This record gives sequence, C-alpha cells and structure tokens, in this order.
Amino acid sequence: MLILNPRRVTFAGTQWNDVTLVAIDRAATRLAVGYSDNGPHPTFADAPEQRTTVRVVMDASSGLVAPRPGDAGTLSLTTSPTASDAAAQTLTASCVVTRVSHELGLKHTPTRTIEFIALSTNGAADPITIS
Amino acid sequence: MSSFKSINLFGSGPHRFSLSVQGEEVVPNYVLGNGDHGTYPVGPRELDVIVTGRLVAASESALWTLRDAIAAQLTDPPVPGTLIDNHGRSWSNMSFIRYEEHGPTDRGRVCSIAYTATFRCFA
Repeated sequence: MLILNPRRVTFAGTQWNDVTLVAIDRAATRLAVGYSDNGPHPTFADAPEQRTTVRVVMDASSGLVAPRPGDAGTLSLTTSPTASDAAAQTLTASCVVTRVSHELGLKHTPTRTIEFIALSTNGAADPITIS
Repeated sequence: MSSFKSINLFGSGPHRFSLSVQGEEVVPNYVLGNGDHGTYPVGPRELDVIVTGRLVAASESALWTLRDAIAAQLTDPPVPGTLIDNHGRSWSNMSFIRYEEHGPTDRGRVCSIAYTATFRCFA
C-alpha cells in the first residue's frame, strides 16, 4: 500500500508535517511449503509468520528531533482523495521504530525515512486498521 | 491416496514416502565377543517406511482431530497393517511405531504442522 502526501500523520502523539509518502509492505518471514509425491511443484504454501513494515518519508528539514529505534507508539495517518474531508480514511497501527535514515539528493530536498514494524494486538488481528 | 489400515491418516496435506536404510545389519565383533576387530552380519535390517508431510486443517480443533486420529493408531503393542503410498505401492505387516511433529503449529491462512511418521516391518 502506498499513500502519497497524507494529510495528517502522527506518531506517539506527535504530529509530523511534510510527509511525502507512507508505504506499507507485507512479507512472509517464514513460509510453509509442501510438495507431494506427484511432481516437482509445491501443493501447499502458507505464510505462518509475517511482517508488516511501514515506511514514512518526510522532509528532513522539518526538525531535529526524530524517533529512535525501539520507540513505540501508535502511528496514525489520514488520507483522502481530495483536499477535503470527503471520503477520508484513517489508518492506524501500533508500531515500533526499526530504522531512521536520511538522504541528501541533489535534485530534491533532504529526506528522512522512518521505518517501523507494525504489531498485532493478539497475533491474529491484522496490525493495520483502516477506518 | 495413501492409507494405513485403509485409513487416510495423512491426506489433509502434502506428504511424501521414503524408505530407510536397507541391507544387512552388521555388529562389531567385540560387541558379540567374537574377536577384537571386524564385524559380523546378524541378519537383514527391518524395513522402515517414513512418511514426511504436513497436516493441514481449517481450524485449531480440526487439526487436533487429525492429530488424534494419528495418535489412535500408535497402539501398544503395535498392531500391524498395510501401508499404501500415493502411487498404490503397498507394504504389508507394517507397524506404526513413531510420530514426530516438527516445531509449533503454524497458524497462517490455515492451521498446519509438519511431521514425520515411521512405520516398521518387524522381523
């Protein structure tokens, strides 16, 4: 899931301005794959262990204070197809910061990228809530 | 479809059949008191047929039903029966002697667990 220019982003109660994109990626960290006696192709696959990561890219000049790896809190963002509140959606996730990095490009302003791992409330519930 | 005593124990998920080591069982002579070096053939090895696979169920309770059905065949003493693989190859007089699960239950789209089941043809 890729969200460009979300209208409002907060983490642990702090509002972040100048967020250019939020990317939510999902990956299986362990696969269960099974083969039969009938041929070379798997007949079963499942993802019993998964990881949902969230990447927030923002303008690095927006402040000196950035979260640190291990910081935990609720990440919330609101997006809508237009600048109005019409059809606005809010995405919420309990997250832990895993990486904070910066990039200086010649053709664009410096960016700060904050990466999170999203946590489930009980292991079964999806870590991302959209309302 | 594979079966043991005509029961489809492993059909819920992928499973494969393999054979253990076959041939002569040899014992060091010093174990038998027949000398201090070399080995002595004592007879053919017992045949083991090994089923490796994964039980797959839609729910936790359904997975336990599959496990319980397998455990019910692990009798003491073992009661031999016919084991048939996925291609119709059969082994008669096989005893179900061991069932081992590998790791915790995997809970993804479905509940599943990997296992190894060992059947032996006792001499």
